[in-house]
Amino acid sequence: MMRKRTKFGRIAINVFAGFGLVYLFAPILFIVAFSFNNPKGNFNIAWQSFTFDNWLHPFAEKSLTSALWKSLEIAAISTLISTVLGSLIAVALSRYSFKGSAGINLFLVLPLTTPEIVLGSSLATLFLGQNFIDFGMTTIIIAHIMFQVSFVALTVRARIRGFDWTLEQAAQDLGASPFRTFMKVTFPLILPGILAAALLAFALSIDDFIITFFNSGSVQTFPLQIYGASRVRIPPQINVLASMILFLSVAILMTGTISGMRKSAEKQKSARKFKVLQRK
Amino acid sequence: MTEMVVRHNRIARNADRVGLGAMIIASVCLVALGTRWVSGPMVSVIVLVLILDLVGVLVLAVRGGPEARRLLAPYGLLKPGMLWLALFFLAPVWSLIRISLSTKESRFSVNYDFNWAFQNYSKAFSDFGAQFQRAFLYAAIATVLTIAIGYPLAYVIAFRGGKYKNILLGLVVIPFFTSYLIRTIAWSTILADRGVVVKAMDAVGLQTVLEWLHIMDNGKLLNTPAAVVGGLTYNFLPFMLLPIYVSLEKIDVNLINAAGDLYSSASRAFRKIVVPLSIPGVFAGTLLTFIPAAGDFVNAQFLGNPNTTMIGNSIQDQFLKQNNYPVASAMSAVLMVSIATLVLLYTRIFGTEDLA
Amino acid sequence: MTTQNHKNTMTRRQFLARTGALGALGLSLPALLAACGGSDTASGEESLYFDNWPLYIDPTEDGLTGTVDRFMAETGVTMRYEEGYNDNNEYFAKIQPLLGAGKTIEPDIIAPTFWMAGRMINLGWTDKLPKDLIPNFSNIEDVYVNPTWDPTGEYSMPWQAGTAGIAYNIDVTGREINSVSDLFDPEFKGKIGMLTEMRDTIGLICLGLGIDPSTITSLEDAAPAFEKLAQAKADGQIRAFTGNDYTDDLVSGNFAACIGWSGDVLQLGKDSPNVRFVIPEEGGTSWCDTMILPKGVANGSAAAKFMNFCYDPVQAALITQYVQYLSPVKGVRDELAKLDPELAENPLLFPDDATNARLRSFATLSEDVEARFDEEFSAITGA
Repeated sequence: MMRKRTKFGRIAINVFAGFGLVYLFAPILFIVAFSFNNPKGNFNIAWQSFTFDNWLHPFAEKSLTSALWKSLEIAAISTLISTVLGSLIAVALSRYSFKGSAGINLFLVLPLTTPEIVLGSSLATLFLGQNFIDFGMTTIIIAHIMFQVSFVALTVRARIRGFDWTLEQAAQDLGASPFRTFMKVTFPLILPGILAAALLAFALSIDDFIITFFNSGSVQTFPLQIYGASRVRIPPQINVLASMILFLSVAILMTGTISGMRKSAEKQKSARKFKVLQRK
Repeated sequence: MTEMVVRHNRIARNADRVGLGAMIIASVCLVALGTRWVSGPMVSVIVLVLILDLVGVLVLAVRGGPEARRLLAPYGLLKPGMLWLALFFLAPVWSLIRISLSTKESRFSVNYDFNWAFQNYSKAFSDFGAQFQRAFLYAAIATVLTIAIGYPLAYVIAFRGGKYKNILLGLVVIPFFTSYLIRTIAWSTILADRGVVVKAMDAVGLQTVLEWLHIMDNGKLLNTPAAVVGGLTYNFLPFMLLPIYVSLEKIDVNLINAAGDLYSSASRAFRKIVVPLSIPGVFAGTLLTFIPAAGDFVNAQFLGNPNTTMIGNSIQDQFLKQNNYPVASAMSAVLMVSIATLVLLYTRIFGTEDLA
Repeated sequence: MTTQNHKNTMTRRQFLARTGALGALGLSLPALLAACGGSDTASGEESLYFDNWPLYIDPTEDGLTGTVDRFMAETGVTMRYEEGYNDNNEYFAKIQPLLGAGKTIEPDIIAPTFWMAGRMINLGWTDKLPKDLIPNFSNIEDVYVNPTWDPTGEYSMPWQAGTAGIAYNIDVTGREINSVSDLFDPEFKGKIGMLTEMRDTIGLICLGLGIDPSTITSLEDAAPAFEKLAQAKADGQIRAFTGNDYTDDLVSGNFAACIGWSGDVLQLGKDSPNVRFVIPEEGGTSWCDTMILPKGVANGSAAAKFMNFCYDPVQAALITQYVQYLSPVKGVRDELAKLDPELAENPLLFPDDATNARLRSFATLSEDVEARFDEEFSAITGA
């Protein structure tokens, strides 16, 4: 039986949501559009004329480009480490029930509920009084890993929530060694969750400003470079690089979604087969 | 022989307590080392305790038998991440609290004297009370606005999205792959005095209305409290939208259809079914929005004026300009505690759900 | 079933061991990184690292060779030039943990503003300049010999100097501006900008009130200026306190007028004829950014060579032609006349005596007094 909803209500909410999307994209369109601007003076604020020049020379600003490389480097290393650490925590939390799991859950959420400025400044005070590590790449990476671990752990745990751990036993019943079970059964199935968490961690690391600001020493990451230089000038290359990151992220997202959809369909098929075998 | 076996078994059966205890001890050791709470010979003692702790757990795992190993397994998986957080999250917070109760000889010295300097806290309250209030006010308004904008959008995607759900969701998230700073700077250009928005408002004649609402100020949209709140709303919108979406998506559409079958109107079904089931999402989103917004300084710096500074700006200033780490730490500690208190109150009122 | 559990748990331990090792690796990786990281200097060659303010040197572009490249070609020193110095206090906060603990920082030369240089010299965080390698030191303008921030003249050499006055957009103001009191005109409410640089903002307001900033020794001396500023802020007169980014707001019309620096407005150039700069009739402040050697730097001699190079009037003129701030080197005006006669006559670059008489440099404050000034100022700028 079809239910009637007020036509007006339906249209109104769609229109409202449409406005929401426009609101979300307004600055983005602005940023991309102004990457084609040929500004006079130091700031890219008023539209002058259309030019492809900026896109032809996206790396003209040396300090900006090297800052971007630094950010990518930091993001890669910190994502790698934090994904490992966070996934281990997530596996422990969902696979086993053990004493203290509630406390661990709460503890994991704490870094997320602490304002970034507190996280950043407190970490800076930790680094300030010791002599082992100087402020720089190391401290930034440590800081990033710290807040990424919580994100990764919670994301992976949410994603593998429905995972059927008896699949492991099924595989071992069929004679697979525990290592083989892990590599061929468990790991491939939880991999999408781990990858999603890794992607999130990577994005968080590249864009992190406040925590990095307090712990960077003389190293300039991309956001720091923008902040510092923005007081003097904002070359259109910033817009170009930002647009590039945007398009790249879109591309990764789309390939990720498509391949994820395919993989999950495949895995559902094989998981179903396993279940059938198990019952037998 | 039997005694040894019995003792062995008892340890093995309580291996989980041992595992938990070991992890806690290791964390405490790391915090003590990290904050240099101990010095001199005590350092070696603590390091020794740490090593013994880790080795002891390994020994138990090896010789305790399968039961012990099964119980110890989760702690083993947790250890690396937890110890990292202990050293780089707990220790800094502890260090922050210690410094907030210390004083420095001069602005430029690197050593502190811990002397229960509560005057740092009284200074934090007296000098920066206004900034604290503004931070919480702006963050609260921004959170409400993100619900107002995010909820309908999430609703449309969840219930009307159909096969385009993932694409629409992607669309929502994509703008936030550009740098936080660039987005905020973009807003400062969009809202400029001779920019698009102000000109449009002028043309449509909305300027007087907006000035009456205190959104515009003497022809300005930028460098106003409204601009700061607007920036906060924009930057934290996905943090509200995604949790709401997740909780809406879980709702079984058949529930709504059933309500319709029982002659409920659409809005009643919404009020009685959808809204209550989406509360966990709104709850999670509120936390993920309000907390970072309260501590933010970027929006106030780029979009605000000297009368709209938030506590984040003050903490940054005390740290970096005044080099007054004790007072800055006291302010950070106050911010953290007040947010924690608000979160606890909020949790009590709205009931806790796990945030994942 | 139990026997299979036995098999399981055996390798779960292996699993644990592996993950434990991985975790340990994760903990040690940063240490490895720290060891591996760090810049490598070409052995045998001299190298130099100058971390300067943005847009403060003539670059290699449009067919012209910049100072850095000319220097490298002439002396064979490998020079790394960065523009990471955006704000005195922010930079100080970054280097304080290192220099305060007796360690050294990466850059060989930095160019803090005179008062920050004075602070660092007082704290003992600078090395003496190897004057024997800088024969061109004698080209320094008289006014910078043994200045208040470096009484012995052994630790610093000015890079560029400038003045702070009022910059305004005549299209927005509708009239010419020439007095500090114009900044407080209610007509421009909410459209006035001021600098986060305390000495320029408070200095100008002091001059507007008839107080000479070069004679200030305590907070009480400047109290009227602080009061006036606090009142203006509370009234909503001031739109924002800015760093170098006021030119943006001036050009776009967000500011009607603001406190600004001469060179910034000059650099806007012919593109923005409606943006003007004026030293107010009550007076303006003069400042300089001065090169110092942070303590313990490795490339002191290379740094000295660079400083010597820049104090050659020919080179200095090329720098001034681009940067358009006041050069501390004698004879620059004549050299500049050969390159760009119009620029050599620009009163903002080469103020006449009447203007010079109106300029004041902010007094050097003791550490305690400076702390109180900074605190008062911060309370007003709202940070």
